[in-house]
Amino acid sequence: MNLGTRKVVDRAFSGLGVTSIVLLAAALVVILAPMVLRGTGAFVFRGTVEFRRLEFEKFGRGNPDRLKAEQAAAIRARKTVYDMLKVFPREIEQREDAFRAEKRELRKKRRAARDADVAEQPERKAALDRREKEFDGRRERLDRQKADFEEVHKLVGELLGPPPGEELHAVWDKQYGQTRWDGVEKKVVLLTKIDQWVQPDDPQQPNYLVRTPRAKLYEGTALAGLFDYVEDHAEEMFLPKWTFYWRFLTDTSDSAHYFGGIWPEILGTIYLTLGSMVFAVPMGVIAAVYLVEYAKEGPTIRVLRTFTNTLAGVPSIVFGLFGAVFFIRTLHLSEGKSVLVGSLTLALLVLPMIIRAAEEAIRAVPRTYKEAALSVGAGKWRTVVTVILPAALPGILTGIVISMGRAAGETAPIIFTAAVSVGQPLNLGQVFNHPTPALPWNIYNLCTEHRAVDEIRHVQYGMVLTLVAIVLLLNLAAIVMRARISRKMRS
Amino acid sequence: MNRGDRGLILSRRADRLRRLGGLFGHGLLLAVTSSSIIAVLFIFFFIAKDALPFFRTEGLREFFTQVAWYPTEEPPAFGALAIFFGTAMVTVGSIIVAVPLGLAASLCLSDILPFALRQLVKPIIELLAAIPSVAYGFVAMVVLAPLLQEQGGRVLAVAAWIVGTPLAAISVIVLSDVAGNAVPKPFRKLGRIVIGLLLGLVAIEGLATLSGVLSKVQIVTGVNALNASVILGIMALPTIISVAEDALQAVGRELREGSYALGATRAETLVKVVIPAAASGICAAVILGIMRAVGETMVVLMAAGGASHIPEPWYNFFASVRTMTATIAAEMGEADQSTGSAHYHALFALALSLLVISFVLNMLSEWAVHRAQKKLRGE
Repeated sequence: MNLGTRKVVDRAFSGLGVTSIVLLAAALVVILAPMVLRGTGAFVFRGTVEFRRLEFEKFGRGNPDRLKAEQAAAIRARKTVYDMLKVFPREIEQREDAFRAEKRELRKKRRAARDADVAEQPERKAALDRREKEFDGRRERLDRQKADFEEVHKLVGELLGPPPGEELHAVWDKQYGQTRWDGVEKKVVLLTKIDQWVQPDDPQQPNYLVRTPRAKLYEGTALAGLFDYVEDHAEEMFLPKWTFYWRFLTDTSDSAHYFGGIWPEILGTIYLTLGSMVFAVPMGVIAAVYLVEYAKEGPTIRVLRTFTNTLAGVPSIVFGLFGAVFFIRTLHLSEGKSVLVGSLTLALLVLPMIIRAAEEAIRAVPRTYKEAALSVGAGKWRTVVTVILPAALPGILTGIVISMGRAAGETAPIIFTAAVSVGQPLNLGQVFNHPTPALPWNIYNLCTEHRAVDEIRHVQYGMVLTLVAIVLLLNLAAIVMRARISRKMRS
Repeated sequence: MNRGDRGLILSRRADRLRRLGGLFGHGLLLAVTSSSIIAVLFIFFFIAKDALPFFRTEGLREFFTQVAWYPTEEPPAFGALAIFFGTAMVTVGSIIVAVPLGLAASLCLSDILPFALRQLVKPIIELLAAIPSVAYGFVAMVVLAPLLQEQGGRVLAVAAWIVGTPLAAISVIVLSDVAGNAVPKPFRKLGRIVIGLLLGLVAIEGLATLSGVLSKVQIVTGVNALNASVILGIMALPTIISVAEDALQAVGRELREGSYALGATRAETLVKVVIPAAASGICAAVILGIMRAVGETMVVLMAAGGASHIPEPWYNFFASVRTMTATIAAEMGEADQSTGSAHYHALFALALSLLVISFVLNMLSEWAVHRAQKKLRGE
């Protein structure tokens, strides 16, 4: 090949490499961006008066006087809605009475027509048929309105919360309306528009969505004005204000995560992570010391290494099954799932990582340190404890921090050993026999098994952001530590 | 021990004590170190213990050859073939995504980028490795799946452009250069530019046609094998990159410098010398990537759809599939209620198969690494 061509090929090759790196960075951005952007929505959002009411009533925060004033203003704005809702059933009753009367009249006419002259009959019958058809149309419309009204009632309840003066439901999410302005906007759309999936004539094509204003269904009734009113006066009814809700991290929530924070999950994750380290760190460091300082090259060390690698390759879900069968059903460490069992399972999972990191750190300690210690008469054990381990400590810590990130983010091993979807924050004494909610499991749980997945997207994103932030901060710490070590080593 | 450490003159008693202490300490260390051996053996034992009753009562035939998996029906059916197929499918998909990208990235990291840039790129890979699997699963399910379902064709077309443009640009440059050599010397530069423009037009036309075809594709469900494969591929990337990069680094300067001394360019050195020398290590990297994809639970649970059937046709990546890990994770909750039921044991049989697969893959990668070391030592 010609030299110039070879050069071009070389450049092209480098170009391919750089492209792959760019794609990698793009993948990272594509994955992190939605988490960060929408995750912040759990912390920073436009809170409504309902949010401030919740804050005050459940957590005792906020200024009661101002809240009272706001609430009064909101109730004033909402009164029109409640009035319309109250009037409409009466209107339905009246119209139903009118319909019954009309029906009777129609029947009478029909009978009269049957008795009348034979010659006139076809004409009168046709007229009657027309009238009856029109009547049926109106009647059916009323029925549709009646059925739809229940939906409207439900939606208004979800939007505004229970009407003032009504007895409060025991569950939080039935006590309050929409606490977030984006939730209000979504509910307003649901309230003012009717979505309908239409199947096209060609069954190969996918169904498509048709959206009609709900006001059309209620044209000419007392409810017709409701939808425009809600749309136009939503701000007055909710008084949205930008809120920085950092207590999302430290608040508990009601059972279904509609409101409140994610403290139980965070605490559970902290317990599981630290718990797994309690077991894994001593074992891992001792194993590394043995592998580097004591074991002689040979079959023992080969077998040990092979088994460590095998342990590292065991799928995480299998760890979960093993933890459930061994720690719970064989050793009976606790009656069911518990933080203890989850920690032990996670410890097994991160053990190979810690062994490897500690091994590398110990190996990186210069020989001269060891020789100096031995030459002043320290025994082997003493050399290890007083010279080698302190020198290797930063490296070992780096490995531990990375494994903590791994343990915090693992889901599959804790499904059968430690995690529950609903729970209160545990205290230290309950760790041995209580399961706990934990961030990774609850993320999964909330976005697959929750009854209103779409309404609590912000909580899911907030949880994901929190978990990713925890893990990435740990890794960042490790990166910084490693940079410092390598700088120290070079100088 | 401490007494012995204090002085060099030892009584016989102290000496013996010290040696005993040393032995005891050694034994203790060995015992702790072998905990990973014990853990592996226990895992195999306890998983097998609950899996064997299934094989004893139901036999092997149905489990490995039938497609029908209806564990809770009466009579139950435990054909796991479709589940195995699902695992294989997403694994192959993820490898198609991860291996070319990972290999190019590891080459770039080990030989092409300057040191300072390398220090910038490494954290990207570390961050990709650190993101928890459930977060990946969440993105796949909440962001990617609706996007695929509603805008499937457009997403595919954009992806084709993103991957295709650099590839096309590079091949156009190289081809036009090669073709330009045929032009007589005085017009060579002009000829190259003309040919390059022509080829570029062809390439753009080709990409446009491709994306046009792709953008007409309708994806019925966003949670499908494609979605899971892409995300699994991204997750497997860090593993592949770091292991392959280690293997490439281990080749050493001498071979590279020898190749340069013979007048080879960097690309030629990499392709003809470094990659063959590191082949075993790269194999190990790919195997570890496969292991990561096979053993991953949350992403496939959330993004693969969970339909236990073999897609129609079998290579249809837009169909939803179900993997072994996802089956265990999804069904153990119910099966757990009736510990000892056939369903429960069937799930353990799946876990045992999973364990055996990852064990075999692990042995393969160990063997590959071992071979790589032997080769580099020059044996």
